[in-house]
Amino acid sequence: MPNVNGSVYGLTILSPIIDDEKATPSHDLQIRAYLATLPTGEESPFAQAAGTHLCRLVVMDDVVYVGMPACEEHLKSKYLIFESNLDAANDAGLESYLRGLAGTISQHLDAIWGHCVGYPGAGNADAFVRYMKACQLETTFFFAAVNDKTVPETLRALQTQRAVTDFIANHQGMEPARLQAEFVEFAARLKAEPTPPAGSIGEGSWGRGRTIKTGGHNE
Amino acid sequence: MSKLNETDIQGFVLRGYNFHYARYLFLHFEDAARARKLIEWLLPSITTGQRWDGGKPQSTTNIAFTHRGLAAFELPAATLISFPVEFQQGMKDRADILGDTGLNAPEHWDAIWREGKVHAWLGINGLTAAGLDARCAEIEALLEETKGAVLLGSQDAASQIVNGTANTKEHFGYTDGFGNPDYLGFERSTQPGQGKLMPDGSWQKLATGELLLGYADEAGELPVAPVPHILASNGTFMAYRKMHQNLATFRAYLEEHGKLYGGGKEKLAAKFIGRWRDGTPLELSPDREDQSIVLDPQRSTNFTYGADGDGTKCPVGAHMRRVHPRDAFGFNGKLIDRRRITRRGLPYGPFAAEGDAVSDTDDRGIIFMALNASLSRQFEFVQQQWIEYGNDAHQGNDKDMLMGNHGGHGKFVVQGDRSAANPPYVCAHLPSFVELKGGDYFFLPSITALGMIAMNLVDPR
Repeated sequence: MPNVNGSVYGLTILSPIIDDEKATPSHDLQIRAYLATLPTGEESPFAQAAGTHLCRLVVMDDVVYVGMPACEEHLKSKYLIFESNLDAANDAGLESYLRGLAGTISQHLDAIWGHCVGYPGAGNADAFVRYMKACQLETTFFFAAVNDKTVPETLRALQTQRAVTDFIANHQGMEPARLQAEFVEFAARLKAEPTPPAGSIGEGSWGRGRTIKTGGHNE
Repeated sequence: MSKLNETDIQGFVLRGYNFHYARYLFLHFEDAARARKLIEWLLPSITTGQRWDGGKPQSTTNIAFTHRGLAAFELPAATLISFPVEFQQGMKDRADILGDTGLNAPEHWDAIWREGKVHAWLGINGLTAAGLDARCAEIEALLEETKGAVLLGSQDAASQIVNGTANTKEHFGYTDGFGNPDYLGFERSTQPGQGKLMPDGSWQKLATGELLLGYADEAGELPVAPVPHILASNGTFMAYRKMHQNLATFRAYLEEHGKLYGGGKEKLAAKFIGRWRDGTPLELSPDREDQSIVLDPQRSTNFTYGADGDGTKCPVGAHMRRVHPRDAFGFNGKLIDRRRITRRGLPYGPFAAEGDAVSDTDDRGIIFMALNASLSRQFEFVQQQWIEYGNDAHQGNDKDMLMGNHGGHGKFVVQGDRSAANPPYVCAHLPSFVELKGGDYFFLPSITALGMIAMNLVDPR
């Protein structure tokens, strides 16, 4: 089924960027400048609103002419592309996700989409949802690293995996009665721990994240 | 694919000489004309890939250059900028990409590798220590006489000799040097497990272009290579890495955890790497060493991991399984055919028997040299993704147990089953067993290309 992979929704939105010769700098540059200031990880607005596994915002200027024998073509407009993998298995789920964004990070949405044609603002949630869905393209195929767990479930699983690994490493070979007692106490403690915030597990986190520089054609 | 011209390819590329003594000389060129003259003098004695039907020589001589070294010959700019970016940058500038950070960062390297003056590597192998010394003395006399280059330093390396017989053990006690990939066109005795895995389970030779420039690689493409073509063809790239081994730390860690691990110390040592220390693959003999397998070329490298998906025989994160995953990533092993490297090298420093007093500060380790057509696609990928990261092996952020830049924070999971002799175990708080002391990227040209450099005839047009 397009747009959905397991319990994850692959959202693709293309919003035309306002073409206004009088705007200085142009609207696409204003979007780029704002996106460049957005934090990643825990501080990302998309970590603060619920339900985003990962997302990406891209400004698409035009199609790139690569020379002969290709023919030279142009888009009618510059576009803002929003790709998001989110917790939803159907249209109703998507709607509730979009309402969540509007309710939590409206100032960011307005600062970004305010440069797009016909954007009604996030203050009016109904209009916002209608606008986003009008800009939606069908995601025919996408990869979801985890497609059967919600964001909080995934965070909880990672937290549990780390805690259990540490417990095992520190308790191997322990006398059984004491091991059991410590495990009971450990399990209760873990259960009482809050779910870690989105964006808090990953690169560089807890002193043992992925620290290596990546990129280029090595990957 | 027709037979390769073995007289045009440096012997160090085509075969492991299996000599037990080596010295690597590091040269700096001060004057382009004198440097070219030196190459002209050395050229007749550069060892090629030609077979030794008359028996092994007393010594071998091979040569390779850094990008700065090629620039010192005053090669045309259009040629110099046509080399792959990672080679132009050199290994030090690739530290972040390679994970050579923290204890392995360039600031901790030997001075010779920090200073960036190495222009050439002269690899001398000796059949005997005397043969090595004699050859090196000749070369040093030649350098002295011709002023063709300054000898910045040298690195000795040698096999362990026990009761007069050399073996292939490295300092941690593992038997090393099992097999390199086979390539099309190479005349070399082959054994199953050394090429690429085919859907029917057989092993075939890898495309020549995975090692040599100028030939099609596994994607049917020519590897990225400098111009002119004839400068690149029959040449290859080498990553040279001096890796210090913290033997005291390794022994203490193995001792401590060998007591806690239900399978015992030797089995834990085997789980680290995927082979018992005598070389027996865990995949073929999970419970005991078996020299009949080690000594049988039809078996010693002939295995896959598909039937051991849980890692109960060979852990999923064992060193050997990470750096040569065979079929471990599925797709009949297709994902790894463009990530293979040919390894050369020897240990350096004094060997210490079990029970001998050792210290991490003792100067011992291994000289590791990786040969490949593309440093970025092959050596750097393996180092970045399979040594310093664990995602492909489904090990999350866990680094390679032995080679990883752990700094005290590493973790390695030994998968197990319900039997008392093969329990699961978690090795935590891994220290760095190996620390990088320097190295660089080199280009090993063909004999033809060396001649062109010597005669100043490199023309990129």
